[in-house]
Amino acid sequence: MIDIIVFGLVGLGLLLAIFRLLIGPNTQDRVVSLDTINVIVIGVIALLARAFNNSLYLDIAIVYAILAFLETVVFARYLEGRKHGNS
Amino acid sequence: MELINYVEIVVGVLLIVLAFLAINSKSLIKAVMFLSSMSMMSVIGFVLMKAPDVAVTEAVIGSGLVTSLFVFTLLSVRKVGNKA
Repeated sequence: MIDIIVFGLVGLGLLLAIFRLLIGPNTQDRVVSLDTINVIVIGVIALLARAFNNSLYLDIAIVYAILAFLETVVFARYLEGRKHGNS
Repeated sequence: MELINYVEIVVGVLLIVLAFLAINSKSLIKAVMFLSSMSMMSVIGFVLMKAPDVAVTEAVIGSGLVTSLFVFTLLSVRKVGNKA
């Protein structure tokens, strides 16, 4: 019963973050919503590791957390380079 | 149906919607963002199919390598186009 509530709330948050990714007025909003989706995905993987009773899936969450940080830094580098590279 | 089946249905529908948006968006950086979020959903899909090694490989390649490659390629292309 508690799993239904938890997965429902996580799915609602994922849906709202994808909605912001779809209609975001400028690129900064989309980058922030991508970071939010990354955090939600890490939480979903940890919840699935709890639902499957298998601690092997937590390694995926660790690897994914490191690469999500790298992805956010790469998008931030893109925004900075677009602002300074106009000369 | 179990709860996991409903989670699989939601993840599959989001995969199709994000793939459609990635191939139909106008600007290139928006398409890269939709492709990256589709890669995230496919990581959840591989975890749901109980394939952890495929999920780790997809997380490394899809979220780290492909997104970095596309973003840096887009940055360098735009810089050369502005100089010319």
